[in-house]
Amino acid sequence: MFHILLSLGEGERHGYAIKREISRRTDGKLKLGSGKLYGSIKRMLELGLIEESDDRPDPHLDDERRRYYRITSYGRKVAQAEAERMRKLAHLATTTFGLPKHA
Amino acid sequence: MPNAPFSLKLYRLLLKFYPAGFRYDYAGPMEREFRDELAESTGALVLARLWIRLLADLAVSIPLQFLREVSQDARHTLRLWANRPWQMGFAILALAIGTGANTGVFSVVNALLLRSLPFREPERLASLGTFLPPHGSATEFHEWRQQQSAYLSDAALIEQFDVNLGGVQNAIRAHISNTSWNFFAILGVQPVIGRNFQDGEDAHGNIAAAIVSYGLWQQLFAGDQRVLGSTIRVNGAPVIIVGVAPAGFGYPGNTVLWKAADYSPGNNGWETIARLKPGVTWPQARAAFEVEADRLWPQRDRIGNSERYPRMASLQNELAGPVKNASLMLMVGVALILLIACSNVANLLLARTADRTTELSIRCALGASRARIAQQLLTECLLLSFVSAIAGLFVALWTTSVAAKVQPAPLSTQSYSILGGPVLAFAVAVAIASSVLFGVLPSLYASRVHPFGTRGSSGTRSLRLVREALVAAQVMLTIVLLTASVSMGRAFLNLMKTDRGFGTKGLVTVSVSLDGTTHALDGRRLPYFEESLDRIRRLRGVQDASETEFLPLGANGFVGGPFGFDGRPAKLNSTMIPVMSDYFQTMGGHILYGREFNDAEVHSDANVAVVNERFATEFGSAANAIGHEVTIGRHTRMRIIGVVKGMDYMAETMDTAHSNQIFVPAHSPGGFVSTFVARVDGRAEDWLPAIRDTISSVDKQVPVFAAKTMEQRMNEVVARPKFYRTAVLCFAAFAMLLAVIGIYGVVSYAVALRTREMGVRLALGATPIRLRGSLLRQGLLSVAIGAIFGIAAAMVTGRFLESLIDGAKSTEPTTLILAILSIGLIASASIWAGTRRIARLDVLDILRIE
Repeated sequence: MFHILLSLGEGERHGYAIKREISRRTDGKLKLGSGKLYGSIKRMLELGLIEESDDRPDPHLDDERRRYYRITSYGRKVAQAEAERMRKLAHLATTTFGLPKHA
Repeated sequence: MPNAPFSLKLYRLLLKFYPAGFRYDYAGPMEREFRDELAESTGALVLARLWIRLLADLAVSIPLQFLREVSQDARHTLRLWANRPWQMGFAILALAIGTGANTGVFSVVNALLLRSLPFREPERLASLGTFLPPHGSATEFHEWRQQQSAYLSDAALIEQFDVNLGGVQNAIRAHISNTSWNFFAILGVQPVIGRNFQDGEDAHGNIAAAIVSYGLWQQLFAGDQRVLGSTIRVNGAPVIIVGVAPAGFGYPGNTVLWKAADYSPGNNGWETIARLKPGVTWPQARAAFEVEADRLWPQRDRIGNSERYPRMASLQNELAGPVKNASLMLMVGVALILLIACSNVANLLLARTADRTTELSIRCALGASRARIAQQLLTECLLLSFVSAIAGLFVALWTTSVAAKVQPAPLSTQSYSILGGPVLAFAVAVAIASSVLFGVLPSLYASRVHPFGTRGSSGTRSLRLVREALVAAQVMLTIVLLTASVSMGRAFLNLMKTDRGFGTKGLVTVSVSLDGTTHALDGRRLPYFEESLDRIRRLRGVQDASETEFLPLGANGFVGGPFGFDGRPAKLNSTMIPVMSDYFQTMGGHILYGREFNDAEVHSDANVAVVNERFATEFGSAANAIGHEVTIGRHTRMRIIGVVKGMDYMAETMDTAHSNQIFVPAHSPGGFVSTFVARVDGRAEDWLPAIRDTISSVDKQVPVFAAKTMEQRMNEVVARPKFYRTAVLCFAAFAMLLAVIGIYGVVSYAVALRTREMGVRLALGATPIRLRGSLLRQGLLSVAIGAIFGIAAAMVTGRFLESLIDGAKSTEPTTLILAILSIGLIASASIWAGTRRIARLDVLDILRIE
């Protein structure tokens, strides 16, 4: 879910683009299936983290069956809060164990 | 890419497995993405990897989405149910009883008819009933058996009886069978330890070999292997145990020990079983058998005893015999009841769906697909049938336990269990079938729901007629069952109130058998009984005690004959009942004139008799009979010292008190089923162990059994009439419940469809009460039609019951009026409840929607 939020951070995208973006960011390690993706999207829509957008970037090029999503301001706040939590966690880990030598 | 169209088609197909809501929203984008990915994947390997990824994704996400949507629907359903707890409670109850009764009856049918017998190739086994092959000696029988090889591969003889079993101490009463040596071989049953009987082991002169049941092995030998070769006494005669039968094997009639047959020409208590020869059909075997029977018993038709008529039947049918037809008929009956229950629930749901038109249209308008709404309705139906199936299992459990009590299975392996694969599968099938039945109508209706609201279509006229005919039929059924249950209840009360010639309160009965004990000799019988009676009478709290050779209710055989009065023969045969002193006092009998025997008369075998009123009045007034003589033949004369009211000796028929009964002193007791009776202070149940122990303390080698109170024996006798009464009462209550649901469903559906019309009429000045009144009148019309048919049918069944059950009166007018009044009241209440929404209608609301 966090990955989906991240991929929507730079603007609205359709499902396939979200998948490609996630795959790109994780160097192909995370490949989301369509079923899982839309299952998550459905939940996020219900939770109000994202919303469906009505305007299409380029109506001529695009298939009307595609659906575009964008992050809501609430979603943005949730993403920020999650990033903050992870930052603190990472900070705690580095102060406890130090950074790895080769890093 | 040649695979592209195929891959796409397959993917589209797979997408259909998503639940409706999800599919509606996301099937399009997902298919679009699939096209994109397909376009990027070239080469078979890449395509294969794509598919593997896709399938894994679908396998995880489809169930997940289903779970989410179904739980959503289920929550919604439960909320809807909570709004109408009564309606749903009734519906669940009706379906639970319907499915439960079906499952319960099916478990009986399954045990008796579908599950095969625990024998090798049971369908080739035949019962020849009471046909008697030559049985004068082992050689005679085995020669006959071998001569039948044209159509039988083998035949075996069985004889069952009760004996005293055990060593010198602590003998028990047990049911055993004498068989020809090939009995186990013909059934294809192997002992778990030890061996089968061997050829020739039933020949005269050998010490008999015996095979014991698994249960007896555990009980007497604690499962010890050393049972083989040990000796056990059957009525005092030693037999050697050579094998132990498999667990659960007790054919015939819960036998605990099988021993080699005892052939003699005079014995005719045999049953014969046979195995058909391979390749021989049943009709061929039957024809061949009848030729043989004609040859052996050419005069059989002239004997005029149909039971002796030789008949070859399959063993399975023969064993299921008494239960088979009854359970098949019941199966049809309960299936019909389930159908009625389903159609009623369907009506109810139809009315509710019609009621929810607004809700459903709004959901449609908000973008719910038709499939999504159908899914919601389907979930409601499945949840309803699931909940009622679970509740139904309890009903089924109860049904099977009742069936086992009233009509036990002939073999212990045929126990009626609902926890078997086939029965549970049947229960699930019934639940699913019923949910389809009651779910179809509402879904059909819902599929017509339009986003812009429905125009008040009133359903076709014929459908309405069907629904109303159904209501009439149910009213009729309810009246029939109500009147029947009332008259059966009355018959049962009469049965309980009947004076059977003895009291049951505080009466303890305990049986003994002297067979095979050292007391069996003539001179030693009476001392044993006198000593036992003496010890019982000395117990503090025992008021009276006595002994009889035949106990009322329990007798299944008699001695007696054409007795006379001072040499004049009586019109009816008399039964002779040996009793010890104080018998009538103990039993709470009625001594009309004179007195009963004293100890001295029993001890000295005095020539005295006590006769019943029926016998005495045949020869003048009962009071004058004292001092006259009962005569048997020319030589035996017994002076009548008392006249008593007779007692009911048979369990089944009630008229034994009207037969001739001659009581004589039991000078040599212990020849039949001897039973001690004792009247005690306090609860009779509490006395059972004390009296049993007192009797066994006299001599441990005499088995003491059947320790029961007279009330318990009475309950066993009336168990079946009691069951009939309860069953009919349950059916009547259930019919009433179904009628309530049926009438309510039909009326509320009619109201839901005519909401607009009602609104208009209200707006034109009609009051709700008047509208409801007119609906009540219309609704009661079909009830009245049903009632008319019901009265006619109740008259007919009343006559039928009268002929079927002792003491059942044909339907009385008061009963009928009561039944009609109650159904009328209940119908009116259901209709009134069904029209309740009219009172809450807001005219403006209705007209605004229009």
